Amino acid sequence: MAEKAVLRIYRYNPEVDQNPFYREYEVPLDEVQTLLDALFFVQERLDPTLSFRFFCRAAVCGSCAVKVNGVSRLACKTRFRDLVEASGGRPITVEPLNFLKPVKDLVVDHDAAFENLKTLKTWCEPKEPIPEREYRIPPEEVKKYERPTNCILCFACYGNCEAVMDDPKYAGPFAFSRVYRYAVDSRVKDEHKREMVKNALEAGDVWSCVQCQKCIYVCPKGVRPAEDIQNVRGIAAEMGFRDYPGVRKLQHFVDWVYATGQINRLALPEEVYGVDPTPLINKFREKGAEVWEVPKPLPGLLEFRDLILEVMKEKKPHLDIDFHHVRRIDKRVEEVFKADVCTRITEKFEEQKSDFFSRFWKKLGEFFGAS
Amino acid sequence: MKQVGFYQGCCFQGPDAHMFDMLKKVFADLGVDIKLVERTTCCGGNTIDEANKFLVYSINARNIALAEAEGLDLLVSCNTCYMVLAKTKHALDNDPQLREEINKLLAEEGLEYKGTAKIWHILPYLVEEVGVDTIRKKVKRPLKGWKVATYYGCHIKYPKEVAVVDSENPSGLEELVEALGAEPVKDYEGKDACCGYHAYYTNKPVALKKVVRAPEGAKKAGAEMLVTPCPLCFKAQDIYQDMVENAPRVPSVYLPELLAYALGYDPKEAGLAYHIIPVDKVTVNAPASS
Repeated sequence: MAEKAVLRIYRYNPEVDQNPFYREYEVPLDEVQTLLDALFFVQERLDPTLSFRFFCRAAVCGSCAVKVNGVSRLACKTRFRDLVEASGGRPITVEPLNFLKPVKDLVVDHDAAFENLKTLKTWCEPKEPIPEREYRIPPEEVKKYERPTNCILCFACYGNCEAVMDDPKYAGPFAFSRVYRYAVDSRVKDEHKREMVKNALEAGDVWSCVQCQKCIYVCPKGVRPAEDIQNVRGIAAEMGFRDYPGVRKLQHFVDWVYATGQINRLALPEEVYGVDPTPLINKFREKGAEVWEVPKPLPGLLEFRDLILEVMKEKKPHLDIDFHHVRRIDKRVEEVFKADVCTRITEKFEEQKSDFFSRFWKKLGEFFGAS
Repeated sequence: MKQVGFYQGCCFQGPDAHMFDMLKKVFADLGVDIKLVERTTCCGGNTIDEANKFLVYSINARNIALAEAEGLDLLVSCNTCYMVLAKTKHALDNDPQLREEINKLLAEEGLEYKGTAKIWHILPYLVEEVGVDTIRKKVKRPLKGWKVATYYGCHIKYPKEVAVVDSENPSGLEELVEALGAEPVKDYEGKDACCGYHAYYTNKPVALKKVVRAPEGAKKAGAEMLVTPCPLCFKAQDIYQDMVENAPRVPSVYLPELLAYALGYDPKEAGLAYHIIPVDKVTVNAPASS
């Protein structure tokens, strides 16, 4: 008998069904290669009323993205046998992508997400003057946006996005990969880059990303939206869009890590939101926990500081160290530990000093002992 | 005793300094000497990446090189530190030019990134290197009747090239929870949801919606607490859950704390006494049979 697997498919026809429901179909493994084949098998042999979207069958058009056991996938690029093996005999659940308006069964309406993308204006408004011949782009530049250029607008990332889930304004991971892609393209004029980045911040809510990395995991084309989002945030800070909690958080990280080798989690509420952390600290103290208000400076700090400065000299950061802030941090460290960041050097000196004195007393003792 | 280098990151500061002592003792009890790799610094928390990715690669190549200089692998107890260090390793191991560039910078401190150290996250280290059976044998206070929801967190599941568990069907936590005598609750709504930690200082309303998602699902599934191998997920579920109105207030426990308690430590030693959302199951004078 042929090996079979069960597909549990989401069914919903808003014109006749009051509520969505699931229907199970048995698909023989040896008659299908991909999940898309399996959907065709159902439609052609078992149930002609099933609707799903497809076109190229070769992971180029991005039409056939669906949710499989909770994870966005391109049906045409998903080996059916792999799904069967991973599901360990349980039915494979196929549903429409999350967060998009259902049309019928597995078909969703992409329009709202497309409209969001359009408001960001992620396209090339060329720098003037436009050259008479073609643009010449050096390979190093192409390297920067090779990956985001591969996006096929399948909305797989959108359907698994934690920020889309909780922020209806959020434009979606793919949208910010596009912003990044055009923001580092030398053909695009600066004013347009600025407008795009501003749109990413305001209309797109780029600071809502939680950095869960799911978009990187589900992208069928190897785009890395979570990392492109980090770049967009940095570029925004560099352009001067700084009045965001996220930029203050970033400044905290850059300054504290330079100053002490670590962040200071208890200083974050104050530096980002202007909130006094004392009530929280007290809660821990009441329970008897020892609380360090400033992290202990790490040994090797001065060498580490040198490294940071060397790196920043070679590759300019999107956000510079605020040395006024660093001096305030140094002062705080000195107050708490009654020592400066050069403590290690001081310690060494003390060691040598005591060594010197002990040798001195020893010599003196020898001298008097001898006499 | 087996020795492994330990990367502390920023996890054991503020009110959590005691957690490092606990971790060191727990691992010693399990036959592993965790040796703090001195001079290592913050990994950048997946945040400095926004300012300068190359800087993140540099400081983490340095962190790894410090372990390599001592001939040690690097054990990491935080999902995010793990991911950032592992991404750096992945980048440097696959890009000789980047590696050379960074090694030039590290040379000044007499360091070199060689790529010889393995980056371990505590979850696979406990399961594969220590072994679930070893842990089971060391249990002095079985957590009988405890219903514990397992929560993995994101950065050991995604992205795929650094994942330490099956991204869609993770395992290991359930086996450990079972070994401690408790009953794992694996399938619940919100088990894959983000804990919200990293959004707290970028978009607080979004973070606070996230924070309660796993606790709510766990409660509905009958769990009495959550256990996570990530100190940041733990902090989000403990501190931020307390800030959400009508939160389910399901206590969250950091995996080594649960181990410590089952190994017979008192609640203070285990760290369980310092939670904002109290771990009701813990009793101060609970007997530890030997």
